[in-house]
Amino acid sequence: MKEIEFKHKMAAHCESGTVTALLNHGGLEITEPMVFGIASGIFFGYFESSNFPFPMFIVRNKPGSIRKNIAKRLGVKFYTENFKKSQQGIDKLDSLLAEGHPVATQVDFYYMEYLPKYIRTHVNVHFLSIIGKNEKNYLVSDSYHREKAELGAEVLNKARFVGGYMAPKGFLFYPDYIPENIDFNKAIIKGIKKAAHDMIKLPVPFVGVKGIRKFARKVTGWPDLARDIDHLSHEIMKINIFLEDQGTGGAGFRFLYATFLQQAAQRLNDGQLEGMSKRMMAIGDDWRNISYFAAKIGKNRDLGKERLNELSQMINVMADKEQAFFSELYKMVK
Amino acid sequence: MAETDLQKIKLEVKEVIIKTLNIKKLKPAEIDDSAPLFAPGNAFGLDSVDAIDIIMRIQSHFNVRIGDQNLARDVLESIDTLAEFIQKERNN
Repeated sequence: MKEIEFKHKMAAHCESGTVTALLNHGGLEITEPMVFGIASGIFFGYFESSNFPFPMFIVRNKPGSIRKNIAKRLGVKFYTENFKKSQQGIDKLDSLLAEGHPVATQVDFYYMEYLPKYIRTHVNVHFLSIIGKNEKNYLVSDSYHREKAELGAEVLNKARFVGGYMAPKGFLFYPDYIPENIDFNKAIIKGIKKAAHDMIKLPVPFVGVKGIRKFARKVTGWPDLARDIDHLSHEIMKINIFLEDQGTGGAGFRFLYATFLQQAAQRLNDGQLEGMSKRMMAIGDDWRNISYFAAKIGKNRDLGKERLNELSQMINVMADKEQAFFSELYKMVK
Repeated sequence: MAETDLQKIKLEVKEVIIKTLNIKKLKPAEIDDSAPLFAPGNAFGLDSVDAIDIIMRIQSHFNVRIGDQNLARDVLESIDTLAEFIQKERNN
C-alpha cells in the first residue's frame, strides 16, 4: 500500500491538530486555533471522585467534543466507528487506507515510539492520523512530532485497543462530507457563545469559573489527601503538567484560545475582539506563572500552609479574571 | 550581518540561562551551542521546571512568545535553536 499524499504539520493539541489536518486534506482551509475556538474547546473543571486516586482538573472540553462541535457548527460529516473486536478495527483501518482515506485514530500515547520516551505517558485519548501502510509499519502523521513517522503494526494495534479509562476501542474517524459554503462568521459567534456560557453560566459548582474557585479553595487541603510529602509534591507538580505539558498549547489552552480570538477578530473585522485576544494572552501569562510557581514549590518540597495559601490566592485571582473576561465576551456575542 | 546578530543573540541567551539558573561557575563560552539543553543526561542537569523558568525569562528578555509546548520542545533543543527562533521572531 502506498503512502497517501498528506500535508504533515505540527500542532498545539492532538485532537484539534488532527481534525484540522484532516479538514485541510479534504480541501477546507482552516487553522488549528480556529478549529479549537469554533469547537468551544476552552473550559475548566475540577473533579473529585472515589474513582480518581487524587483530585484532578481539566482545561478543555471533553475529548471528542472538538470533532463533534466542528461537525455541528460547520456542517462537516465525520465517519466514525469503534470496535468490539480488534481484528475488525484493524481490517477497517486497512480498507479505508486502501481506499485512499487518511484516517484519525484514538490511541494510548505511551506507545508512540517515534517520540522521546521521557514525554510519553499512558493517556488513552491521543489522536493522530494514519496515512498509509507498508509491509510492517503504519505511516503516521502525529501533530506532536516534527515529521511523518512509522509505527509497527503490532504497536499501533496495541495502542488502539488498550483497556482502562476512556479505552479507545479502535475508534477511528475521517471527514466524509465537507460543505462547499460554510458560514464561518456564524460558526465563530456560536463557538464563542457556547464557550463563554459554559465558563460562567453552567449551574454546576465544579465547572467553569466556579471550578477554578473550587480548585483555589481545595488546593490548601491537598496535604490531607496526600500519602506523604513526596506524593503531595508530585500532585502539586502535576498542576504544571496539566497546564503546560499535555498538548495544551501552553497555559492551559489559554494561548491557543487567544490566537483563535485574534483570527476571529481579523475575520469579523472586530477591534473589540482583538482587545479580548490580548486580554486572554495576558490571562495565559498569569496561568503560566501559576504553573511555574506550582512546579517550583513542588520540586523544592516547599509545601507548607503559607505556600499553598499563596497558590490558592493566585488561582482565585484567575477565577476573578476569567469571570470578568468571559462575562464580557458573552455580552459581546449574545 | 544576520550571522553577527545571531552570534550576539546566542551570547545573550547563554547569559540569560546562566543568570536564570544561577550557575556562577559557568562562562558563556563554555556552553556548546549545539548541545541538547533538556534531554535526559544533558550537561546542565535541567528539568521541566527549569524549562518553564527559562521560557519565561527568554520571553520577557527578548519580547517573544514561546506559547506552545511542542514548539518549546523544538525551540529549547539547544542554544542554536533558541537563538534562531528569537532571530526569526524579531524579523517577523
